[in-house]
Amino acid sequence: MYLIKKSSVLDIARELQKEYRVYGPVVEKETRQTMFTGVEDAAELDLNAPIPAMPPKHIVFPHFERIMSYTYDRAAKKADIRPDFDDSRKALFGIRSCDLTGIICLDRFFLGQEFVDEVYRNHRKNMFIVANTCTVPFKQCFCVCTDSGPSAREGFDLNLTDLGDQYLVEAGSEKGKKLAEKMGLAKADDSLAKRKEAIIDASVSKFDAIATDNKAWISRVVNRVTTGLIDEKVWEYIGNQCIECGACSYVCPSCSCFNIVDPQTSEEAADRMRTWDSCSYEGYSRMAGGHNPRKPVEDRRSKRFFCKLSYSQSKKYLRPGCVGCGRCQWVCPGDIGLPNVVTYIRRDIQQ
Amino acid sequence: MNYKSGICTFCGTGCGHLLDVRENRVHGVFPMQNHPVSKGRLCVRGWNVHELLNTNERITTPLIRKNGELVEASYDEAVSFLVENLSKYKKDTSDEIGFLASPRSSNEENYLLMKLARAVFRTNNICLDSDPGHRTTLDVLHAGTGMAGMLGSLEEISKSEFLMVVGIDITKQNPIIGSELHKAARAGATMVTIDTRNTQIAKLSKDFLQIRPGAYRIAMAYLAKVMIDENLHDADFVKRFTAGYEGFAASISSLRESDVEEKTGIPADRLKETARALARARSAMVFFSSGISGFDRDTISYIYNLFLAAGKVGREGCGVNPITGINNLQGSYDMGIAPDLLTGFQPLSDGAVLEKFGKEWGVKLNGAPGSSVYDLMDRLKAMVVVDHDESIIRNVSEISKMEFVAYIGAFRNNFMNYAHVVLPVSTYIESDGTFTNTERRVQLTRKKIEPAKNIIPGWQLYVKIAEKAGVKWSYGSPADVMNEIAKLTPGYASISHDTLSAIGGMKWPNGAARFDIEKSGAKAAFAPTIANFAVPVASQEYPILLMIGESQHYWHQNNLMKKTNLPLREYNATLLLYPQGYVAISPQNAKELNVRDRFPVKITSPYGSMEAMVQVTDKVKPNTAYVAYFVDEMVTKFFMEHKDVLKRGEDSTIPVRIAKV
Amino acid sequence: MSEIQNLTIPEIATITEIKDEIVDVRTFYLSFDARTGGEAPKIKSGQFVMCTVFGAGEFAVSLPACPENDRFHLTVRRVGKVTNALHALSAGDKIGIRGPFGNGFPFEEIKGKNIIYVAGGIGLIPLRSSIMHVMRNKDEFGRILLFLGARTPQELMYQYNLEEWKAAPGFETYITIDNPVPDWDGETGFVHTLIKKKNIPVKDTVAFVCGPPMMFNAVIKELTEMGIGEENIISTLERHMKCGIGKCQHCAIGRTLVCTDGPVYTYRQIKTLGEQI
Repeated sequence: MYLIKKSSVLDIARELQKEYRVYGPVVEKETRQTMFTGVEDAAELDLNAPIPAMPPKHIVFPHFERIMSYTYDRAAKKADIRPDFDDSRKALFGIRSCDLTGIICLDRFFLGQEFVDEVYRNHRKNMFIVANTCTVPFKQCFCVCTDSGPSAREGFDLNLTDLGDQYLVEAGSEKGKKLAEKMGLAKADDSLAKRKEAIIDASVSKFDAIATDNKAWISRVVNRVTTGLIDEKVWEYIGNQCIECGACSYVCPSCSCFNIVDPQTSEEAADRMRTWDSCSYEGYSRMAGGHNPRKPVEDRRSKRFFCKLSYSQSKKYLRPGCVGCGRCQWVCPGDIGLPNVVTYIRRDIQQ
Repeated sequence: MNYKSGICTFCGTGCGHLLDVRENRVHGVFPMQNHPVSKGRLCVRGWNVHELLNTNERITTPLIRKNGELVEASYDEAVSFLVENLSKYKKDTSDEIGFLASPRSSNEENYLLMKLARAVFRTNNICLDSDPGHRTTLDVLHAGTGMAGMLGSLEEISKSEFLMVVGIDITKQNPIIGSELHKAARAGATMVTIDTRNTQIAKLSKDFLQIRPGAYRIAMAYLAKVMIDENLHDADFVKRFTAGYEGFAASISSLRESDVEEKTGIPADRLKETARALARARSAMVFFSSGISGFDRDTISYIYNLFLAAGKVGREGCGVNPITGINNLQGSYDMGIAPDLLTGFQPLSDGAVLEKFGKEWGVKLNGAPGSSVYDLMDRLKAMVVVDHDESIIRNVSEISKMEFVAYIGAFRNNFMNYAHVVLPVSTYIESDGTFTNTERRVQLTRKKIEPAKNIIPGWQLYVKIAEKAGVKWSYGSPADVMNEIAKLTPGYASISHDTLSAIGGMKWPNGAARFDIEKSGAKAAFAPTIANFAVPVASQEYPILLMIGESQHYWHQNNLMKKTNLPLREYNATLLLYPQGYVAISPQNAKELNVRDRFPVKITSPYGSMEAMVQVTDKVKPNTAYVAYFVDEMVTKFFMEHKDVLKRGEDSTIPVRIAKV
Repeated sequence: MSEIQNLTIPEIATITEIKDEIVDVRTFYLSFDARTGGEAPKIKSGQFVMCTVFGAGEFAVSLPACPENDRFHLTVRRVGKVTNALHALSAGDKIGIRGPFGNGFPFEEIKGKNIIYVAGGIGLIPLRSSIMHVMRNKDEFGRILLFLGARTPQELMYQYNLEEWKAAPGFETYITIDNPVPDWDGETGFVHTLIKKKNIPVKDTVAFVCGPPMMFNAVIKELTEMGIGEENIISTLERHMKCGIGKCQHCAIGRTLVCTDGPVYTYRQIKTLGEQI
């Protein structure tokens, strides 16, 4: 454990900038909206900014990206494929524990199953992660119910905790330790670990009642979602409110569905693009020729919550897919963000 | 900071977004959390707008047709070619030349195109594709209140106690407005949907009244009659603020309950309950489609009169709210894209107005209204078309006969096949511009990336064309254009790019949230209506009423959507299942016909017939059928025979007989 | 997995020959440019590959070739943009291939059993490799029955193989078309009614069923009613697939991913997945 003065904390970002492109929370001036984005000037970074509107997922899994390009010459009977993987060095500075948990889910899903996803592996290959403990939760947060906050326990190289006038800096990897040593950060007294615990406890006590009253309010529905023992009327009620915008998937730190398209760039060339997709879209599971095994919208809704809340899917993430960031509730044009869905299912269980 | 704020320009909602712009390309999109309309939400179109903005199907160079082929040219050559050709035709009152403007162009672009048509090429034959849909609504509202736009406000939906949704599949067409309605209903507002089809908003409503096609007018009239008969109308409001109430009350007095039930297919009790709920609510709003087709004048008049009698116009949380499909449909009318209008709904026939514009523009203008391009189709010799959708298929034979067709747009389109000259322009993120959403909200969206090599924005193109035609316009930027608009347009008087720079821009007139009856100064007039309650009736020979839907499927043929992947996949869902189009019938009719989903059937009317696949769905009532007119392959001779019916808009119906093939 | 990496980036193959099968269905024989002698990657019966048509996109397609002795080929019906683009190609043109992916048929587990194949229309494509394999290894199995259905005689897949199978000793082959037509003196009616008419083994029997959803459901009903257990009915599922390696999630059904867990499932498994076929 190390310490750094609050006024110098951005020096960590500046140090990282020597080797990495640094991404972090920046408040957009016109809209006052926090975006997690790449910066040229580290002074733009704001560790006290509200939770970013969008998780940093897009840095390891972009909204859309080219994974290869190709040319083909029918007359000469020639084709040429050029892979296009992004393995540039990136540092995530000030990532919140929910969002880091999202990246851990993505790691386990993309890298840990039967096949390794090359595109994702390259994004993650050269990455440095600096997490930031939430000493105060935001209004929509419920990470205490999904075991993903308010302070990160794994997955970071460095973890920052605001102690008031200085930041506690914990190294989570050799890479992190090296950086702290290189910067000559002061060693922290072991007693500060207790102080950090107290800060986290204080943070937990400030969560919205729904999260603090009963931390098991989500886990209670996991069993039902896994076994499918939920009245179809509940899914219908939920499905009726879904306008199929896909926003819940797009803002979810652990959602990773994608689509692949080959837009032509000229008569004899095309790019292969990976773009975000959502299981809430009707066309998502439709096959060429029109047959769609998954038709009613409530079917598709239950699919997403199965991914977030079932044991079966948790096996892939080694934890629940939901990380408690609450963004789906923000962006949902219906009223079916995950916390609400949990409430509806619980209401059904009670009855 | 690589995130740049802007406005989504798909539909008339006008949601706020942030675009991730790096290396002169858009890399992603995110909703703007504190935007007054969208409040951090976007729909499937908005969330995937980057697909459109990165499409390879842009028009990349001016083109001139030589020996049947379009060949690359410089702007200079192409503009000269355009001006030379347009100069050949007769000016002023002639029927030889016309301009078809786009409801997607920015206000500045549309204003300049309008000026170009009237002041430079001296024709008043300029119109929008969506004539007469939104125009009809504006006519009714303008005649009644003096305001040619939505009377209510989207921001006040949450303040409304009663929400009526009439004939609009709003969660598909303008999803974020649908979301706002849904959230208001969840918070306690009473929502009632009246529609021929069982839509998502119908499912989310407290009551859904499934109406027979062609009977909206009667339902509205009856709701008003119940209110008046039971003395529930706002008599004080009517007396203080309105004119013409007696005439309206008299025109509906002859309505009979049994007749209404039969014609609408809705039990009178449920209509009565709706009328009472509307009257008792302290505030109420009505939403209806006003995009590509919309209702006929009479239906809109009854909707407006109903709300006026209920005292639900011009107060907080109240309003008669037409919902525009395309992003700048409202703005296009504001900019005078109509044969008989100048900006801000000022009539061309008004001498003082004409004088004002003539003086500003330095020309003597012709005060005789022109005609809609569609009315002149078989007479026009030359036409200029801007950024258009596929409805060309309706007029392909006339257009291919024209001597000269010019196409102006950012994206490739079928129209290019008929054009003699093609002039590319930049997209909305490559230039500053303002757009006016369905609630009269004028929003500025700034240039975010440089246009592709040599491509110029629309406003510069129009300046270039004017210059070639011998008129020097001295605008240095779109902001200068807006200053001129503000000078000439009372409702836009306080609008400039500076005053619009805040998030959410500003609503006309002069920032007013909505029509305010207290401040209006004049009485709101009931719209004149005719006591004609005839409905299209089915007969023994033609027992099924075929509804012709346009707006619901508008996005299928939308030229922008065709340049995307995910939104196209989603909005095309039904069409991929039924590639040749379809006719939706009820399970009961399917059983009687002994057909299953996707079976071919023959549809026969007194004037013709066509074949289509059936879609069996409980969304339509027994003995009604629904056909998506906007499907390319279905616009056959059959519909050509029914052009007059189609003019009646969203509520048009044809009695038909359906048989298994 | 082959040593050639083609999980994400396709390898280039040349179309060496194209054969017309039935209307809208063609077979494409391939040679692999980067492999010695153009030799194909090793496949298992029941697997699939992702096929790139340059400029159009990529689609999943099952492998009909017998792993032991067939030339590598794909049989494709044109249904959408990409498959139409493939049909527009000719011999010598290049395409891209990723894979093979998927689990394949469980031949080891069914040794010694009677085998029944029931295929409707182009449902024969994914079953072909299995049939060819079983024919080569007849001794390992009990009775072998083939039930093939099509709407018309012209829509019978792999006509050149049908003759071979009909003649093969130990093969009981039954072919039916939906409605009687002139010049057809074989069986008529739906394939599930044909099964009922024949004396089929029930004990120690495994059935492979593939075809359109309506036919599939009718056949399953017939077979289970006759006493064949749901765990002994095997099919291969077709889903919208984008990646083939378990990442894009398009083919997710409940807890299973068709691309990595499937595409071969028993009917008992399919039933618990909770989606339409």
